[in-house]
Amino acid sequence: MGGDPGKDVHVLDRIQHRIENGRFVSIIGPSGCGKTTLLRIIAGLEKASEGEVLLDGNELIQGTEEVGLVFQEYALFPWRTTFQNIEMGLEIKGVDKEKRRSTAMEYIRTFDLNGFENRYPKELSGGMKQRVAIARTLIMNPRVVLMDEPFGSLDSQTRNAMQEFLLRIWQKRTDTIIFVTHNVDEAVFLSDEIVVLSKRPAKIIKILKVEYPRPRDRTSEECNHIRRDVLRILEEEMKRKAG
Amino acid sequence: MESRMKKVVLFFLVNFLFLAAIAYGQPVRIAYLQSDIHQLPCWVALEKGFFEKEGVKVEVAGIFKAGPELMSAFAAGALDMGYVGVAPATTAVANKTARVVVLAQVNTEGSAIVVKKDGNVKTIPELVERSVVVPGHATVQDSLIRRAFYQFRIPPDQVKMMVLKPPEMIGALRTDQIDAFIAWEPYPAKAVTMGVGRVLASSRDIWKDHPCCVLAADARFLENHLEKAKGVVRGHMNAIDFIHHQREEAIRIAVKYTGMDEASIKLAMENVNYTYILSVEGEKEYVDFLTKLKYIKVDEIQSFVDRFMRPDFVKEAIKR
Amino acid sequence: MKKERFLLPLLLIVVWQGLCTIQVVPSYKLPSPWEIVLGFKDLLIVGVPPGHFLHNHLLYSLYRVVLGYAAASLWAIPLGLLMGWSARLLRVIRPLIEVVRPIPPLAWIPIAILWFGIGIKSAAFIIFLGAFFPILLNTISGVLSIHPILIEAARTLHAKEKDIFLKVLLPGAVPSIFVGMRIGVGIGWMTLVAAEFTGVKEGYGLGYMIMTARDIQRPDEILAGMLVIGVIGLLIDIGLRATESRTIRWK
Repeated sequence: MGGDPGKDVHVLDRIQHRIENGRFVSIIGPSGCGKTTLLRIIAGLEKASEGEVLLDGNELIQGTEEVGLVFQEYALFPWRTTFQNIEMGLEIKGVDKEKRRSTAMEYIRTFDLNGFENRYPKELSGGMKQRVAIARTLIMNPRVVLMDEPFGSLDSQTRNAMQEFLLRIWQKRTDTIIFVTHNVDEAVFLSDEIVVLSKRPAKIIKILKVEYPRPRDRTSEECNHIRRDVLRILEEEMKRKAG
Repeated sequence: MESRMKKVVLFFLVNFLFLAAIAYGQPVRIAYLQSDIHQLPCWVALEKGFFEKEGVKVEVAGIFKAGPELMSAFAAGALDMGYVGVAPATTAVANKTARVVVLAQVNTEGSAIVVKKDGNVKTIPELVERSVVVPGHATVQDSLIRRAFYQFRIPPDQVKMMVLKPPEMIGALRTDQIDAFIAWEPYPAKAVTMGVGRVLASSRDIWKDHPCCVLAADARFLENHLEKAKGVVRGHMNAIDFIHHQREEAIRIAVKYTGMDEASIKLAMENVNYTYILSVEGEKEYVDFLTKLKYIKVDEIQSFVDRFMRPDFVKEAIKR
Repeated sequence: MKKERFLLPLLLIVVWQGLCTIQVVPSYKLPSPWEIVLGFKDLLIVGVPPGHFLHNHLLYSLYRVVLGYAAASLWAIPLGLLMGWSARLLRVIRPLIEVVRPIPPLAWIPIAILWFGIGIKSAAFIIFLGAFFPILLNTISGVLSIHPILIEAARTLHAKEKDIFLKVLLPGAVPSIFVGMRIGVGIGWMTLVAAEFTGVKEGYGLGYMIMTARDIQRPDEILAGMLVIGVIGLLIDIGLRATESRTIRWK
């Protein structure tokens, strides 16, 4: 993937990167640097003023099934039950009712949502809502799964639980995940690769590879090492004047 | 001392005169029906100042679209005297919503059933299954048309009766929304001169000499201001004489108050008979009929009519 | 407590009856509660005008309302969804709506009679006008109140315009649509009765019934009729609320 976007407000500056299939890549950077914008461009919700997004060497067309996006605010349809939210994509695609039902029930089982399939989002906890949102995206089997700080609004225990949950799910599949966060621990725990962005207009400051086997011990020396690196880079970036 | 006494007397005198002037000066609140040529005596009296000549100040407190509305104004205490159909007046008094007394007749006859000019209704029995419009329930016209049905043995529920205000009737007839209407003059005449309608039957054909509009007074007003009421009745009588003797001038006044053309007015007035003599027998027939229609319930017809009408009032009014 | 709700009305009725019984209030101006009950009996048994019974008046009035109201919903909801969706459409049509909306439906009566005559169509048209605008405006605001992120979520699930319209806008706007519908039916019902005052071809209708009661000088029947109208209006509203809470369980 290569990209070189910018807008009236110069948000991103010559971002260019290639991500391999099946990798879990985190993007981390100061608040407001444009991480979300980058994700939205890849998802096709916004257009880059310059540059392109390529998938397997071909231009990525907006609205195709290749890319899925999980929002930080869950974005569950409040008038649909858990079940109906999860099957929404299949419904739009035109999959027949019985097939939809069985597939959706499968995901409900896998995502630990048994017993809540007929509840409405207002009756679910934060963690449950996020599981529904992720299930809704993954059920479509997109080539690339984009996640925009999906665990940002959860408390830290739920957050850790969700991180482990995500890894469990992911490791049984072959999705490519691009995961935006500003929580360094999270990035270290989850990713194969961490891309650190500068302040706006965002450039890539550094790309760190995290090659330790999973599940990782958050308190291990290796994790701490990477974490210190990232934190140092970010600290320096924060001190630097914007521009 | 003396001068103080004088001042006190003067004070009371001035107040007394002031109050008397007010009581005397309170105009009589009078009402009539819009564009109803039966009420021409009222317009003549207003135009020619006949009420003033009898020493009474009059103000028009309301112009109404139909009799029942005028009676509602009586009920609300908003009127002292009114020109109104005898049927709505009877209904209001019998149902105890208004207390009025009828002092003089205004006219007899003067309504007509109108059908489409080139339509296919040529006789009253042909009105079966058709839509027929009256200006209101329990109006003189309502009573007349039902009397006609009765005479021709047409069950009223076989006719589609509707209520419209007379100004709307001609338009509805012209666009074929209705088959016939019965209204007070000059509406039937106007329908004819406009080329829209044809008179199927004049009210005279249904009930010769039937009483129509009357001059009524609020009962309490009559008690407290008998002399004023007499003055109004005298003015009314003069107006009726005027109509008989000065027809051209009367027509001019009618044109002014209805806003209609002279041809229609002339045609209309041929159908109306102006008189101030009350018909007690006619009233009894109304009471009987309205009771049959279940609009009112009057057990003792004679005593009702005695309380409701004062056929000798015109004689008393002239005697000073 | 449920009982408390009825305390005040009950008290008012008792005081009212008392004042009438001792003749403080003359009965031709304000009939007593008991007289109204008797008047109600006459509406049912004798009919106003005689032979025209209450249930028939009610049916005709309801029929007119249903017609006008259905037409209003059929037009206002899709148009509202479109106007909420397309800012341009909203800009273009809005001025027209803002000019027509303040005109009271009753002011349209002469024109309605000119266009549609004095039958059911003109009454239905008046009701249509009364109900249309609340439904339209509430539908538009319902669409506008949908969080844009939900539309984006639908897009990431590969929704096309048609899908967004049917699966996001419509369900998302439903609560507001219901609000508009309740307001619309209230206005429609109120307008109907006044619209019937002017002329009713079929000879039946609650407004017509009251006008006739006025003609034959029966204030007890007038008030009984008014009560019927109020109660029916209340029942309609309750019915709609029940449907609403049955349909919208997710809020």
